[in-house]
Amino acid sequence: MKKSKFNIVGKPVIRQDGLEKVTGQAKFADDINYPNQLYGVMVRVPVAHAKIRSIDYSAIENHPALTTICDANDIPGAKKVGPIKQDQPIFCYQKIVTPGDVVAMLVGESEEELLRLRELVNVEYEPLPVLTDPRKALEPDAPLIHPELGSNLVIHHPLRKGDVEKGFAESDYILEQTYTTPFIEHAYIEPEAVIAIPREGNKGVHIVGSIQNPYTTRKVVAAVLGWPLAKVRIQQAELGGSFGGKDDIMNILSARAAVAALKTGRPVKIRYRREESIQESYKRHAYYMHYKVGFTREGKIKAMKIDIIADGGAYSSMTPFVTWRTVVQATGPYEIENVWTDVRGVYTNNPYAGAMRGFGSPQPIFAQESIMDEIAVQLGMTPDEIRRINGFRSGSITATGQKLEKHDVNVLTVLETAVRETDFARRWRENQQQTKKRLDLAALEEAAANPGPFILHKEDFLEPEEVLRKGIGLAVSFRGTSLGAEGVDAVAAYLSLQQDGSAYLLSGLAENGQGMRTTYSIIAAEVLGLRPEDIYYLDLDTGYVGDSGPTVASRATLMGGGATKVAAETLRQRLEKVLRRHWNLPETTNFVFADRTVYPENQPDRKIAFAELCNLAYWEGVNLATIGWYSGPKVHWDESVGQGPAYFTYVYGCQVAEVTVNLSTGEVYVERVVAVHDPGTVINLLGAQGQVYGGVTQGAGYGLWEEISVDQGFIRELNFDQYLIPTSKDIGEIVPIFVEGEERYGAWGAKSLGEPTLELTAAAIANAVRNATGRRFHHLPLNLEEILLGRKLYPTSKRGSV
Amino acid sequence: MIPEIEYLRPGNLQEALQMLSEYGETARPIAGGTDILPGFHINSRRFRDIKTLVDISNLPEITAIREANGGVYIGGAVTFTDIVKHPLIREKYPMLADAAAQIGSVQIRNRATLAGNFVNNAPCADSVPPLLVYDARVTVRSLRGERHQPLGEFLLKPYRTQLQPDEMVTEVFLPPLPAGFRGEFYKLGRRRGVAISRITLAVLVKMDQRVIEDIRIASGAVTPIGARFPELEAQARGKTAEADFLKELAIQLGEQILQRTGLRWSSAYKLPVVQQVFYQLLRRICQ
Repeated sequence: MKKSKFNIVGKPVIRQDGLEKVTGQAKFADDINYPNQLYGVMVRVPVAHAKIRSIDYSAIENHPALTTICDANDIPGAKKVGPIKQDQPIFCYQKIVTPGDVVAMLVGESEEELLRLRELVNVEYEPLPVLTDPRKALEPDAPLIHPELGSNLVIHHPLRKGDVEKGFAESDYILEQTYTTPFIEHAYIEPEAVIAIPREGNKGVHIVGSIQNPYTTRKVVAAVLGWPLAKVRIQQAELGGSFGGKDDIMNILSARAAVAALKTGRPVKIRYRREESIQESYKRHAYYMHYKVGFTREGKIKAMKIDIIADGGAYSSMTPFVTWRTVVQATGPYEIENVWTDVRGVYTNNPYAGAMRGFGSPQPIFAQESIMDEIAVQLGMTPDEIRRINGFRSGSITATGQKLEKHDVNVLTVLETAVRETDFARRWRENQQQTKKRLDLAALEEAAANPGPFILHKEDFLEPEEVLRKGIGLAVSFRGTSLGAEGVDAVAAYLSLQQDGSAYLLSGLAENGQGMRTTYSIIAAEVLGLRPEDIYYLDLDTGYVGDSGPTVASRATLMGGGATKVAAETLRQRLEKVLRRHWNLPETTNFVFADRTVYPENQPDRKIAFAELCNLAYWEGVNLATIGWYSGPKVHWDESVGQGPAYFTYVYGCQVAEVTVNLSTGEVYVERVVAVHDPGTVINLLGAQGQVYGGVTQGAGYGLWEEISVDQGFIRELNFDQYLIPTSKDIGEIVPIFVEGEERYGAWGAKSLGEPTLELTAAAIANAVRNATGRRFHHLPLNLEEILLGRKLYPTSKRGSV
Repeated sequence: MIPEIEYLRPGNLQEALQMLSEYGETARPIAGGTDILPGFHINSRRFRDIKTLVDISNLPEITAIREANGGVYIGGAVTFTDIVKHPLIREKYPMLADAAAQIGSVQIRNRATLAGNFVNNAPCADSVPPLLVYDARVTVRSLRGERHQPLGEFLLKPYRTQLQPDEMVTEVFLPPLPAGFRGEFYKLGRRRGVAISRITLAVLVKMDQRVIEDIRIASGAVTPIGARFPELEAQARGKTAEADFLKELAIQLGEQILQRTGLRWSSAYKLPVVQQVFYQLLRRICQ
């Protein structure tokens, strides 16, 4: 076991910020108030697509409750922003392109008064045809969402490898299927909140908020104000959940608050209620995926042709990067000689889509793992057999032409572990044999539109003992770690030892609830022989350490962990130098740092307390603070054919879901999920298990309940009475198992875990449902109606209807 | 957003009734607040005219459970947590305890009250089907006096009851249940926790060997309001509980629901499913 070489790494450590969070003492953005503060309240127009003719404030402009109004005219710098294409206005001034759009912000002391006043703003607009179906976005007569771009195409990622036509010709069978996945809400428990404080003199503006990526927020605010970056300071408040969702929306809200704060000279707070949060914030992309697979009767996949449309909604946001991960990973962890993939992201008038945990992987995994099981069924194999035949091994070439090497390529290892743990193949075969009497309501319903088919015939009834069916299903994935060819990949970590041996630590990445502070503290403590609680983690503020990029892509442990280790090792070397001088030891002496003491290797009796050593160094004038820097190796990418080493390394996972399906109601109960992941080295066992529990639950939500549905651009599910996420009663046992593969990057080879845990579950559940019912479901979520009717039903009226 | 509202806290029932009488239509009693507060947040039309809230959650006269007249009196402001925990209710009226245990979450059950669940007469009120099959009677009081009536008559139509603005449901009486009845409460939600009901059924059956001597059937969430099915009950009395007849009964339930409710967006799912689950429920109870 590699764990044995560590004192703390790999053991369960309680997170440093846990107690204040569970006792309600942690200060979230909306807990922070400043004297004399104002509130900002948004003005929207109930339309999905329109040209703005005029905005008339005359009914409210002299109202005493109104301090000022901010709209596009108040923006000194960039009126439109966006991480890749700058197509999203801070305040709309030409067009409305989705109902979440904001034309102005009312600013005043009473939020309640402002909420009333906003109804009186008169926006004159000319409605335009609404585009809601992304599959029609590229048709010649489709309404253009951003006419200045000339097309609704946000991005097209082609991937060409080998010769698919030759591959299909060499195949014994060809299977073609279409799969869809819906928009998904992040459902962070804390809605958006931010406060901007204008500062005196040349100190600029200070912003505190529920912000996932403070350096990105700073860039946006500085651009909107037309200011230098250094004049904007962003501080992260304790953050109540993000899952990738507190990026663009928080950048924009921060910019609005900053504009208003500078206009009024007073602190301005914006805080959203849930409805407003769901209405305006971005979503996980809805995908439409067509897969065509050719394979031999022995089970070898010869060719795969994939056509994917991603609904990017009204703004481009992260669509180019999200779909890029899709094109890299869409064929799954299988070695396939001939691949032809097209992934297109398009504009519509739907809510805009951006980053969400998984980032372009949960959708293709659902499609690809579903179709792999269909291949197995067709060939009379078990799902693990078909994956064993095609799965990556060391030295395999991916669809992008990358050779997998110099790390443990553990696809088959995680698969075998999960299969063994669940007695998978035997149980899968047994379930396949079940006699399957089920309601075929879809057929009943098709018969006529009259009420007749809704009334059963006697032969339709199920007896109580034949209602419940067991199913077991699995899914596997490989995932490129960190940003890959998306962008610059480097992180800073500041570590400062004090005279008494305690320490400050701060990285440029953000604690978004994932437990990163504790992970970094463990890494620093391991190197320096301290305990994690000796490390005091500082609040993240863009003024303190260098821009480390966004906290996304499950890169915090890998990249920030690497930086923290570099910082800790730098200080350790300085302390060793002091000690050699102090004890008059040769340069070659090695030291052991453990249990808050230091001693020369093989001389455990010659101990010095860590605190005493720090004191010694302090009085010698040694610099006990440093900034560690960790940057990923270069990767490159040929975008014309989608070839290149996309990511510098990969992680692997396999999840097995065991379900019970109620054939008379369509209910699916997840009895147990065994989640086997290779995240490289586990730093905090408790944190890693927590990622699995959370990720699997979120993935089950994706599989069975969650859906943002859109009616003419308007979201139906505006709160958690309608947008259903799983509760603790809705999912059974979750069993995390870690296979720690060898890796040369990161801190002792610690890679990624957050997103892999979420991306597999829906696919595993869908395969288990197939095993239980004998029927393949192609459209997430597999809710009650999908299981019984094979389609979704949506309320025709507003809330409260059942 | 919660509007600025006058909040009154009477010390006893008499004071509360005086306040309701004085403020009339603009006042509303509040107990758990689990309906009113979310209603405020979404600016629901049902609560838009409220200017005064009269907090009745701690009035001793309506927060007790007592045994009398062979049955049980449950105060209108008794919480579902209290109902779930009450030994007498669990023993004699287990379907009510079952329904109560499945309402919302622990936090909601700690606040939400029995009368609060049905005074708004939402179709998905989970306590209604069991109360209906137990032949529950409500006590309604105002300064003008007190009246008693069966719950089935008190509930008029969706979001409408016989309750007048100056009145309050002070107690619910569950009469003694004749010996030999056994039953089951069934709830289908989209998930297991914090679920709004999509289908509820409460069925009580008294069997004499294989013959259905008596039966009571009520549903919720599939009919405009929670309701009994007297024709169905009459038809079942005296029949042998064999599979074929139970299927017939289930089909008729489907037809009656369709008749009462008409076609809704959800009918394609709910109608076949309610027949299935009703049949399975009967098979289990009549075994």
